[in-house]
Amino acid sequence: MTPPGKKRGLVRPYVITDGRAHPTRNTLDLVTLVIAAGGETGGLSPEKRRVMELCRGGSLSVAEVAGHLRIPVSVTKVLLSDLVDSGHIVTRSPIPSAELPEPQILQEVLDGLRARL
Amino acid sequence: MTRHIPEAVFWCLLAGALAVVILLIRERQISARLRRTVATLEASVRSRDEEIRHLATVRLPALMESGPHQPAGAPGLLHGHLAGSEYAISLKTVSDLFSRSAQAAQARADQSAKAALKASMRTLQGLANEQQLSISEMQDRHDNADVLQDLLAIDHTNSQFGRRAQAIAVLCGSWPGRQRSASSLVDVVRGATSRIRDYRRVQVHAQVDIAIVSRAVEPVVLTVAELLDNAARHSQPNTTVQVNIQPAHNGTAIVIDDAGVGLIEQEIRRATELLSGAGQTVDITRLGDPPQFGFAAIGVLAARYGFSVSVDTRSPYGGVRAVVFLPSALLTRAHDEGPDSVRARPPARHAAPPRPSGPVATEHVAPDDASRTPSADPTPVYASTAGGLPKRRRRQPTAEHTPPAERSAPETPQGRSAQDAAAIIGAFARGTRSGRASSSDHEGNPHT
Repeated sequence: MTPPGKKRGLVRPYVITDGRAHPTRNTLDLVTLVIAAGGETGGLSPEKRRVMELCRGGSLSVAEVAGHLRIPVSVTKVLLSDLVDSGHIVTRSPIPSAELPEPQILQEVLDGLRARL
Repeated sequence: MTRHIPEAVFWCLLAGALAVVILLIRERQISARLRRTVATLEASVRSRDEEIRHLATVRLPALMESGPHQPAGAPGLLHGHLAGSEYAISLKTVSDLFSRSAQAAQARADQSAKAALKASMRTLQGLANEQQLSISEMQDRHDNADVLQDLLAIDHTNSQFGRRAQAIAVLCGSWPGRQRSASSLVDVVRGATSRIRDYRRVQVHAQVDIAIVSRAVEPVVLTVAELLDNAARHSQPNTTVQVNIQPAHNGTAIVIDDAGVGLIEQEIRRATELLSGAGQTVDITRLGDPPQFGFAAIGVLAARYGFSVSVDTRSPYGGVRAVVFLPSALLTRAHDEGPDSVRARPPARHAAPPRPSGPVATEHVAPDDASRTPSADPTPVYASTAGGLPKRRRRQPTAEHTPPAERSAPETPQGRSAQDAAAIIGAFARGTRSGRASSSDHEGNPHT
């Protein structure tokens, strides 16, 4: 494993974002899912191309993209909002917790199994 | 008889006069010779006086001025006729001794200046690196655009500050510091861009997957940073600095073009001399005021790591074209280092063994991580982080439409029979029941 820090720190975040710290949109948070929408990646910066490669396989959360790219989340947001603006990716809010199975149902399943054994 | 006496006296007088005349003539001759000798000696003494004055007032100061490296231009003897004499040889010994001691003093001064600069620059470099680490941590920790904006500014200044210290330290014989893993050429150029003031004017045009070997990353970054800094500094703020990467037969060239004022003939000669690293011992006291460390530091690095740098061509935009030529020995293929590239990480490596789950497969995985419960945890499928924590794999687009199915799937893999599942659940139930029974019996006290 490459120790973090050996690789990091070569290309500084201000070069990645071209000096910007404010994302063009404020709709992204840690768990927002991003999905590649296609488009030409030729003219993109290496980091944006990496994002596109990562997102091509499915949806990823903002936090995960940041983790894979090994850049701070706030820097990732700047990149992602650029990509949303240019139409390369689309965002989707996370699955609402209401759709997840309720603890009560799980409890009932457990009780049912117990009753049978 | 008396007639003979005057005659005798006459002859005596004649002989006496003759002797006197002869003596006088000899005396004259001797005195003339002596006068000539005295005159010669006087002239000789005068010329030696002049010669030694010439040595003290002209030759030695000239020697002192010109420095130890070019004694050829120093003035010679004032009086040519003294050449080869004992005196001239002694004078030469004096001037040789003088220049040698001047040389030694210069070398000592250079040495101590270098040692002092090196030590202080190493300290500054260390501090800059430390600060960069804290800045990176802060950037990770604060998810706030305003804070980030400030941190970016600090980070930028810190990087430039680190580069300055680094260049001076390298010039004074230090190593470039920071060990890095092999990095792609594009990252190296952008890393160099990170360290200059006008980083936004630099445009990198490259789509190559060539990487630089680990030991050469930092030197090349520093070299390119110095060249970029020169390029940006000596061109109008509204122009751009273009960076191209040209693969060649036995290496790769990084070409940096600016649209600045360019270099004049003399500057090119001086730069070429410095960049060749031929001077070997760069005299840090003669780098001008303010000192120009950049080219000299590049020369040292190029000689040490075996790449070459030239600035003697004009760029198509009228400024300077700087070319860094990296021989194949310093290059490798990008993504060779594996662990860091995301594509090398994914399930492909770990997925195969645990997939056909069931007792045999799980036992096979178990020694990997004893604390893991293979039957209930899908993590063996995935790679793990540096800290040993399992990494979550991205969801497949199809899976996310049916979240409940995906969640339950790993809990009951198809390989496990109904009996196995029942046995496990049963054991769990029995365990909890017995636990509850024992604790309620003794009101929470341990079983005695």
